[in-house]
Amino acid sequence: MPIKEQFARVWLITMLVTFSAYFTAVIAIGETTPLAQIGLFATTVVVQVIVIGTASAVMEIRHKGGPKSDERDQMIDQRATRVAYQLLICAMIVVGCLMPFNNSGWRIFHAAVFSIALAEIVRHGLIVSMYRRGWDG
Amino acid sequence: MAKKRLSNNLRLMRFLKNEMTQAELGERIGVTRQTIAAIEAGKYSPTLETAFRLAEVFDKPLEEIFQWEVGGGRKGD
Repeated sequence: MPIKEQFARVWLITMLVTFSAYFTAVIAIGETTPLAQIGLFATTVVVQVIVIGTASAVMEIRHKGGPKSDERDQMIDQRATRVAYQLLICAMIVVGCLMPFNNSGWRIFHAAVFSIALAEIVRHGLIVSMYRRGWDG
Repeated sequence: MAKKRLSNNLRLMRFLKNEMTQAELGERIGVTRQTIAAIEAGKYSPTLETAFRLAEVFDKPLEEIFQWEVGGGRKGD
């Protein structure tokens, strides 16, 4: 399995698990203090950094000396990034241009985090999918 | 318009070239073993540069390695 695919799998699973837990907690806790909200978000980000950082280090050691990436890796990454970027732009238009008219504060913050998480999940999901199912474009 | 697809004889070419492995071929043209496997399986169409590098390795014209299939058969059949 290419190192880029392994990395995308780790990233995808980590994002899915941590953000599922994050948004479940946000919904369960409801309105709370800003410090608690920031603490929850910071914990989620720290867990992601630790998991992805450790996995990256392990993969780098295991693939040391091997080929890093080639044209196929780059094309798959470009295609997935393009789709995720378009999704992120659409979501940010909603969050930044429409939501401020009838929402405020933490709801906008959580919507922005959700948009970023969704774009990243779609990006890495597409990368894994294109490695598995192929792409002849 | 009929659906067209790129096919190839890479596996046969490797066999005829002293059973060259995918890893060896990948190393010679600067791609990973997985990319060679994906090209052979028809899951990835290589860039023109890589296609020419492959042709160079096997010392064959491009059209002997890659074919442009139309509706299940090959163009010109």
